[in-house]
Amino acid sequence: MWRKSPEAKPSSESYSPPVSAPVASQAPVPVPAPRVPTQAPPAPSAPIAEPAAAPVSRATSKISSGLKINGELSGDSDLYIDGELHGKIRLGNSRVTVGPNGRVQADIESREIVVDGTVQGNLKASDSAHFGSSSRVTGSVMTPRIGIDDGARLRGKVETTPARGASATAPKGRDTADLQPIAASAVEGE
Amino acid sequence: MNWTAKPRPGAAHPATGAAAVRPGPTPAAVPSGNLRISNGLKEFLWLISDVPHGRVLDLGPVWQSTVSFFVDKGYRVSTEDLLRTWKDFLSAEEEGFRASPVGGDSQRISPSVLADKFLENALQYPERSFHGVLAWDLLDYFDPEVAPRLMARLSQVLHPGGAMLAMFHSRATERFHRYRVVDSQTVELIPAATIAVHSHVFQNREILGLFADFRSSKTFVGRDQVREGLFLK
Repeated sequence: MWRKSPEAKPSSESYSPPVSAPVASQAPVPVPAPRVPTQAPPAPSAPIAEPAAAPVSRATSKISSGLKINGELSGDSDLYIDGELHGKIRLGNSRVTVGPNGRVQADIESREIVVDGTVQGNLKASDSAHFGSSSRVTGSVMTPRIGIDDGARLRGKVETTPARGASATAPKGRDTADLQPIAASAVEGE
Repeated sequence: MNWTAKPRPGAAHPATGAAAVRPGPTPAAVPSGNLRISNGLKEFLWLISDVPHGRVLDLGPVWQSTVSFFVDKGYRVSTEDLLRTWKDFLSAEEEGFRASPVGGDSQRISPSVLADKFLENALQYPERSFHGVLAWDLLDYFDPEVAPRLMARLSQVLHPGGAMLAMFHSRATERFHRYRVVDSQTVELIPAATIAVHSHVFQNREILGLFADFRSSKTFVGRDQVREGLFLK
């Protein structure tokens, strides 16, 4: 009944040292907690899956409001952006969060992407992407799982992709129902 | 995919000789508030059900409920807000035209030339990428010269045997709506700021002409006179 995808595997990719730009590193940072159901899903009656497994206490780097960075970020630390960033973000096995004050003009490639601010660029999340009600995104989105809150504005293409390591014939593991906690919502860039 | 031969769930087995109960569409769509019972959607889902891990292209804006609906059924979904992209493209062209010297290339204002230019960047998918396309009512909002070019591209990206759902108004619409899937036979009409005015009321034979590349079609007419067309490539 439900399409299941394999459990998220830790990436075997290696990355260059944490962050190449001057980023304040601290842990933990008030990163938004995993989303909880805000509205019952419209159709399915299957049990709602637990929220996506959060990475085990890992350091989160933060670009605070007022900071402006130009360049390319790569590494394996989670990243919270509440400032401005122009360039490119490649954090393959991490979570990238763009806070309400964050303004990002960059392509983002990460395991999980959460946007509450403004992003202009193409987003590629290997696990999930979530767009909060205050998010403003211009660019294409590729992810196996997507969550969109009421009020989010998304201009560009969206494509759901197979989860990493997914088998097309016998998908197992995490339930795609973890899309459901997010309210059915409008995305209109009027 | 054979339109007529494909067994429907609940249909009597031909060998039994029993009268076939056709659980297909009910006679007419009954709008309720902003919800619309969509026999076209119901039939669309039935047609693509042969491809459990197929790909669906939604040509409207991205909605959580629509994406979740298809993802939960095992499909991959791509969303491209074609009308929005077209309007953005036209705005950019208009700006460029204003900035260009008087007496410049006048061909750029021809709708068909514009359509060709638009399609250099829009609907860029490999051929036969999708098993289903949800076009909603957007063809009504394109210039009649542009619509055939869009259809040609959509036909290219649709897999043989794939299905396309399109809606056509019988008169110029007063309100601009977006559509999202609520369940397997219900769509919700979301009133939205007008990004395009209703361009053309297609006659039935014009619709058939638009979908000439498709091998069969089926139309459901709702009480609101909206025609839901289902086209099989």
